[in-house]
Amino acid sequence: MSAPQRSLRMEGISKAFAGIAAVRNASLEARGGEAMAIMGANGAGKSTLMNILGGVVASDSGQIVLDGAAVTMRSPRQATQQGVAFVHQELAMLPTLTVAENIFIDSLPSTGPFVRTREMVRRSKALLARLGCSIPPTMPVEQLSIGDQQLIEIARALRQEARVIIFDEPTSSLSGPERQRLFNVIRALKGSGVVIIYITHFLEEIFSICERVTIMRNGETVWSSPISEVDPAKVVHLMLGVSENEGRIRAPVEIKGEPLLAVKGLRREGAIRNVDFEIRSGEIVGLWGLLGSGRTELLRALVGLDPVDDGTISWRSGESFEPITPEQLRVHVGLITEDRRGEGVLLPLSVSDNIALPNLKSLLNRWRLIDASRQVALADSMIDRLKIKASSRDQIVATLSGGNQQKVVFGRWLATNPRLFLLDEPTRGLDVSAKTEINRLIVELAEKGCSVLLVSSELQELMRVCDRYLIISRGRLVDALPGSANTNALMQSIATIDKDLEDAA
Amino acid sequence: MAVTQIAPTPTFVWPSRQRVASAVLVIATLIAISVYAPSFFRYHNIINVLLQASLLGLLAIGMTIVMIDGGIDLSLPANTAMGAVLGALYMRAGGDWALGALIMIATGVVIGFVNGFAVAHLKMIPFVVTLATMTVVSGASIWMTNSLSISQLPDSFVELFDARPLFGVPVTVLIVAALAAVIAMLMRSSVVGRWAYAVGINERAARVARIPIRRVILASYMFSGLMAGLTAVLLTARLGSASANMGNDGVVLDIVSACVVGGVSIYGGSGRVSGALFGALLITILSNAMNLIGVSYYLSLIVKGAVIIAFVAIDGRKESKS
Amino acid sequence: MTARQKIVDFLFRRGFFVVFALIFAFFSLATSHFFRADNILNIFSAMDPLAITASGVALVVMSGRLDISVGSTAFLSCAIGALLINQNDLNPVLAALIVVCCGALLGAINGFIVVVLNVNALVATLSTMIAYRGVALALTDALLVQLPPPIRFLGNTRVGPVPVDIFVMLVVLVLVHLLQTSTAFGRQIMAIGNDITVARKIGLPVDRTGFFSFVLAGVLASIGGMLTTIQNGAVSPFLGNGLEFTAVAVVVVGGISLLGGRGAILFSVIPGAFIFEMIRNGLTNLGADPYSYRLVGGAVIFAAMYADALKSGRFSMGRRL
Repeated sequence: MSAPQRSLRMEGISKAFAGIAAVRNASLEARGGEAMAIMGANGAGKSTLMNILGGVVASDSGQIVLDGAAVTMRSPRQATQQGVAFVHQELAMLPTLTVAENIFIDSLPSTGPFVRTREMVRRSKALLARLGCSIPPTMPVEQLSIGDQQLIEIARALRQEARVIIFDEPTSSLSGPERQRLFNVIRALKGSGVVIIYITHFLEEIFSICERVTIMRNGETVWSSPISEVDPAKVVHLMLGVSENEGRIRAPVEIKGEPLLAVKGLRREGAIRNVDFEIRSGEIVGLWGLLGSGRTELLRALVGLDPVDDGTISWRSGESFEPITPEQLRVHVGLITEDRRGEGVLLPLSVSDNIALPNLKSLLNRWRLIDASRQVALADSMIDRLKIKASSRDQIVATLSGGNQQKVVFGRWLATNPRLFLLDEPTRGLDVSAKTEINRLIVELAEKGCSVLLVSSELQELMRVCDRYLIISRGRLVDALPGSANTNALMQSIATIDKDLEDAA
Repeated sequence: MAVTQIAPTPTFVWPSRQRVASAVLVIATLIAISVYAPSFFRYHNIINVLLQASLLGLLAIGMTIVMIDGGIDLSLPANTAMGAVLGALYMRAGGDWALGALIMIATGVVIGFVNGFAVAHLKMIPFVVTLATMTVVSGASIWMTNSLSISQLPDSFVELFDARPLFGVPVTVLIVAALAAVIAMLMRSSVVGRWAYAVGINERAARVARIPIRRVILASYMFSGLMAGLTAVLLTARLGSASANMGNDGVVLDIVSACVVGGVSIYGGSGRVSGALFGALLITILSNAMNLIGVSYYLSLIVKGAVIIAFVAIDGRKESKS
Repeated sequence: MTARQKIVDFLFRRGFFVVFALIFAFFSLATSHFFRADNILNIFSAMDPLAITASGVALVVMSGRLDISVGSTAFLSCAIGALLINQNDLNPVLAALIVVCCGALLGAINGFIVVVLNVNALVATLSTMIAYRGVALALTDALLVQLPPPIRFLGNTRVGPVPVDIFVMLVVLVLVHLLQTSTAFGRQIMAIGNDITVARKIGLPVDRTGFFSFVLAGVLASIGGMLTTIQNGAVSPFLGNGLEFTAVAVVVVGGISLLGGRGAILFSVIPGAFIFEMIRNGLTNLGADPYSYRLVGGAVIFAAMYADALKSGRFSMGRRL
């Protein structure tokens, strides 16, 4: 007689952060013994939905029903007690402790004060064996590869007798064979009746391992069906919800002439493989790929924020076109990173101080001190040009809306008059009108001769401004498409390429 | 109109918790003074308090700069003592007092460089590094002087700083006030000053904004060393002698208290020279008052320790690992 | 690996032994008084209080924090015990118990300030270090507190040629070592030192564990202080002076990373404490100025920290405060 099948239901879940809705009336229905894929672009709400399920955040409304009974998740510990295990992308590992200790750390078997180490080791061995893994339980975790560490985290979930296991981007750091091993483990887990929730950006994976798929967009659940009812292109289509209505701000321009920047053979172990490309003055080049494809890593490596293992970067300066180091390139480039609050603005400072920060040298008076009136003039000119909505130039940036914060970041770099802008998700988290404003700004910059390398998860956005596209996947530039490429072509380029790569890996 | 008006600026802002705490401390102290130690207000005592506060203030300013970019410098008093001892030895051996003063200042900067190099380039933890420096330097100065103080310093030196040109306010106080004003302006209006704040607020963001972090940190420690050296000069002149005891533990507590009370956050990114001076003044008044009231020195240490803990607890920011 | 890399790698892993051997050889050659059985036993005896106190600091360091108030805790708790014996004729055994309780209480205050009030551990223990010392100096009027003869006698007991202190130290250290390696509490301390955020995420009782690490440090400091007091037959106003720093140094020199999460008590604290006492003993035998010890000690500490920073520089950007 088999046990009744497990079930997980999330209904009517809504959650807003600071007034902005992250999840709106979302729902999810998954069954034991199956893997449910959750797909969605950046900001679509899937992370928030999973954080709610994992007890990391509390929902504003809605309920979670596990095996027929409603459950409350106020904290990760509560979620664990209810049987929901979350294997995060950043593994929750304690590096200097052993494998067995990591598996049992929140519930060490002890007699009196002493830990029953032998029992712990024996039980760990058994758990790992269930996962087809033979790592010695007495080994310190820091000596293991990420793939092995991940198995240990799964073993911990098993020990906690999880009914639901959520996998968040589990394969981004795994090698080919490790990925296969993970898939086998997931199949074994399914066999034991666990509900698997699988979040990934790698399309081809869900067709190998998942039975159902739920797609989120703009905080809502827009699709839920067995996986057999969709194909990769349809999934991307549903994820991005492209409507052909939003017109181009500028028709693609074909820029001829000498390149401003040429990159050859750029390599960074584990992130970027052999990247070659060129950018000319006044071009807007879109770097298109899904999250985890190495886009951010490429931008950061170009300016030396992350180390580079190999490659040449050449830059045009007047008549000469010579190799320069990433640190030197940084002087000529405006970089807008993905992490606006962590690396973009300095939250406790005012708009005026933030804009002034990289430009201090140009605000000096003849005694080499910062001239307050010059700073005011600079701030005002940027506020004006970018239409930054703030109560005054002295308003603390932390209290501005995300869109305005981003404009402040733009303002600070605009003042340095860079010849190249590297933009990493510049409109993430902004409302529609702010997005349009930024897109117009990008075009304006290009018309004035500035080059732009634009990274974005939103195909729509790229298609409104880019002159051409570079397609990146798993750290490699796999294709280049002209500005005239249509939506389908672009979506196909990332939907199918991954499969070829996987076979080759 | 350059700025788009979106919301009226608030007319009333609750003072920060730290300001409230400082106010409470000031009021409590004043009450205690007026009840138990009215002798506080005698001219001689006030001048004394001002002098001590200016010297403490100088060190507090040095500490403030280092705290602003996220570090801490526990070696300041030991640094002062060493500088004073070296300079005094030179002066007693017949050297020119101006050169002696220069030696004191140079010692300060050199020790500051050692600290700064270890923190900025060797990436060592500021607390432990400066604790080590403090131990080594104070040990060295005790060893060199055999715990004796060095007197018989040139009269011209001592008298210079003893003069009271303005309403009976000693030269030392004026020097410190002037210096503080200049430094305050520099922190607000110089490139390095802005950089220091940025580094303390968010080192990652400062890096993206192209700020040379290591240079800034090194400079801040050298600056605090400079302050220590200056204090050595002024203190030696005031006392007429130099001793290794100038660098005892109690002074470190005073400096940290002064900064914390003055609104400087030990986690970095905020704090002003004026706050440091205010803190130094308040702590000196507190010490002086406790002294006059008859509170034992040791009990005063407890009070100061409690004050630090209270103010840092009120600061409430969670320590963050970068 | 190039030859240079090989040397560097060797130094990292075996550097401590190299330095140890060098210093030992130096002193043995420099003076005939050093390399003698009774002198070596002296070193072992003198290092015991340091080792015990350092083991408490080691626990706090392994949890990712620091406690520099241990010297003052030792002083204050022993001062209270000594005064009770002298002035109130308290039974010495009872007094010893009270000393340990004081140590626990003082440690608990630290724990409260750091964990509950969320004050940075360094600043908090800096403040309590000075405050506790102040109280102790006030209680003793900064005078030596002599203990009655029976206790002084106890300080000289030996089993054969070996002073009893060594056994006491071994017992205590073994217990602490077991605590760290084989109890849930000990493992959780290591967990916190690894990554406090992950530990919280997993649901470990991070605050409770942190609090008790400070209590333990206080207890061990008071026991260490008691040992010194018994050895000297008195509580000196300089008891524990600089101990906070030496204890931290012993921890670092012994190989426990200041970043937390690593190390084993027995194999770090004992060698570390030995090397320090060895240096002090050697310098005294050489007839060097007593103040030079602080200098040399400071230099060794600096070198040890440099090595630690280099080692951990491999793992992280380094901590700020």
